[in-house]
Amino acid sequence: MSPETQRKIEALFPRYPEKRGALLPAIYLVQAEKGYVGPQDARALAELFGLEPVDVWEVLTFYNMFYTSAQGRHHVYVCTNLPCSLRGARTLLKELESHLGIRCGQTTPDGRVTLAHEECLGSCGTAPVMRVDGEYVENLDLSEAKRVVDSLE
Amino acid sequence: MPTLTIDGTEYEVAEGRMILQAIDDLGLLMSGVDIPHYCWHPKLSIDGSCRMCQVEVEGMPKLQIACNTLVTDGMVVRTDVERVKKAQRGVMELLLINHPLDCPICDQAGECTLQDYAFDYGMPGARTEEPRRPAKKAMDLGPTIVFDQERCILCRRCVRFCREIPKTGELGVFARGDHSLLELFPGTELDNPYSMNVADICPVGALTTKDFRFKIRVWFLDDVESICNQCSNGCNIYASRSNNRIYRYLPRRNDSVNDTWICDHGRLSYQLIMENRLTEPRVSRRGTSYADAVRAAGDAVRAARESGGSIVGVASPFVGNEDLFVLKQLLEAVGAPAATFAVPRGESDELLVKTEKAPNASGARALGFEESDASPGAVAVALVLGHTLAEECLKGVETLILLDTENCSLAERADIVLPARSFAEKEGSFTNHAKRVQRFRPILEPTFEALSEGEILQRIGAAAGLTGWTASYDVHEVSKRLSETVAGFDGINLDSLDDQGCELA
Ligand code: SF4
Ligand code: SF4
Ligand code: FES
Ligand code: FES
Repeated sequence: MSPETQRKIEALFPRYPEKRGALLPAIYLVQAEKGYVGPQDARALAELFGLEPVDVWEVLTFYNMFYTSAQGRHHVYVCTNLPCSLRGARTLLKELESHLGIRCGQTTPDGRVTLAHEECLGSCGTAPVMRVDGEYVENLDLSEAKRVVDSLE
Repeated sequence: MPTLTIDGTEYEVAEGRMILQAIDDLGLLMSGVDIPHYCWHPKLSIDGSCRMCQVEVEGMPKLQIACNTLVTDGMVVRTDVERVKKAQRGVMELLLINHPLDCPICDQAGECTLQDYAFDYGMPGARTEEPRRPAKKAMDLGPTIVFDQERCILCRRCVRFCREIPKTGELGVFARGDHSLLELFPGTELDNPYSMNVADICPVGALTTKDFRFKIRVWFLDDVESICNQCSNGCNIYASRSNNRIYRYLPRRNDSVNDTWICDHGRLSYQLIMENRLTEPRVSRRGTSYADAVRAAGDAVRAARESGGSIVGVASPFVGNEDLFVLKQLLEAVGAPAATFAVPRGESDELLVKTEKAPNASGARALGFEESDASPGAVAVALVLGHTLAEECLKGVETLILLDTENCSLAERADIVLPARSFAEKEGSFTNHAKRVQRFRPILEPTFEALSEGEILQRIGAAAGLTGWTASYDVHEVSKRLSETVAGFDGINLDSLDDQGCELA
């Protein structure tokens, strides 16, 4: 992590009764810098926090939105919870898999797109929904989904 | 002291303890008071994750976990009510949902808490037919341990052990919920001097040692109480034996010595017992009968006494207190000075391992022997136990009588050689670094003619015609005499010692 990120993390410490409490925001900061938090970053964080690297790794792997390896430039997350599934999300995900030539959870070889599935995005009324780089794309159908994915640089 | 009532029986317990701890303090856990538990371990922090230890506590609407519920004065606990039994059945069912149920090919079978509790607290059948979640088989975790991820019940005992005891923290439970798996921190191995303890504390067959895995079914083994002889900590162990062979050492709990741990070096040291054994009695470097060798040694001692030649004793920190005591008596009977002894030294750590690489240097000191690696100089007879003193030091000895277990180079040079029993083949006691006297029991029958050092010396004394010496030897008698004669040992002998040992006064 950069000295800048480290400074930002250290600035978080006084905000929590225990240093350890700042771990989640610290992980976010590292991820914002690098796009993911790998074993080396976990070691560095552990050092900073006075924890064991496994402590950091347990927290890191607990949450879906932290990545432990490099991700694509764009994140495409398809909601596959019940209402979205009833509205065809699973077929949609399969189609996107073959369209991109990767399996759910993988990244295209050119590093352009990481495709994954996700639980309820809280937007069941506009199911099926996918989240593209943090933005919701709603009321999807297959051609719309493909168009959005293809438009990603 | 708070009182705690469990299923109608009242107990006095220590202040500030959880229910499970309080029962463990009383020595009743699973032997008198049965509260099944997986994640709780007496020497690790509380996890509260397995939910197996649920009990009913009067005045609390919901069941409580006994491992993390503080005892309050007058607390009334029930383990025998249907509500508790139902909870136990439920927990067992959940734990088994992803378990491969492969006991027939699992090395833990026979000493598996999952098996035992499934019988005692579980349901007779499974209600699920779904496939088990995928996990890895026989993962290599490092130089000592193999991991069957499918069998892991995620109790996190091994995780806490690595963090809290050797403080190496190699293991963690990663991901969440149904995806959680025990794994190594990426790029590391489970490799620390205490690593094999994880196999003991793993309640299931997930972690097994490469050393013991698939060697023998555990129900063919019986466990003999003994003491590790690799350093002066004197860790308490069980030696698991079958067919006159030791298959493994396991730590035996002693809160004053080693808690529930042993180091990996000590654990594997059973392999050394039969290595390079001295099996042949010799006189003048030629094989002979045991009786001949004893007679020759007796003659040498007698001749030295008659001609006024000097006799010295070199003790060993590897032999028992009783052996040392017979040496002491023999030296006194012939008017020789107190024996000296040398101690091999090595690395130590903050946990268990001590610098003195022998089990009984403290015993030798307590018997009035002096640590020295100086040469005794030119002497007529030297009675030498073991080979801790450098060979050059014994150059000036006219008749060297060696009592040893190992076929060392000194045995080539000695004039009279008597094969001795290892600690695994005899009974006795060691005094550890903290002056705790601890018993070891015979584990193996010697496969060749060998006696304990104490008995050999007794016979040599008789053969030398020392007044009052007969060839008959009883280690319990010797131990009694020792405790009556030597200061500090008052009341401490083989018959008075329990399995936890006793500190010298
Ligand atoms: S491997 Fe054994 S000790 Fe470790 S978490 Fe799994 S069941 Fe518990
Ligand atoms: S610490 Fe010493 S006594 Fe204990 S097991 Fe290791 S070598 Fe044996
Ligand atoms: S199920 Fe997809 S947004 Fe709720
Ligand atoms: S032993 Fe109490 S929750 Fe596991």
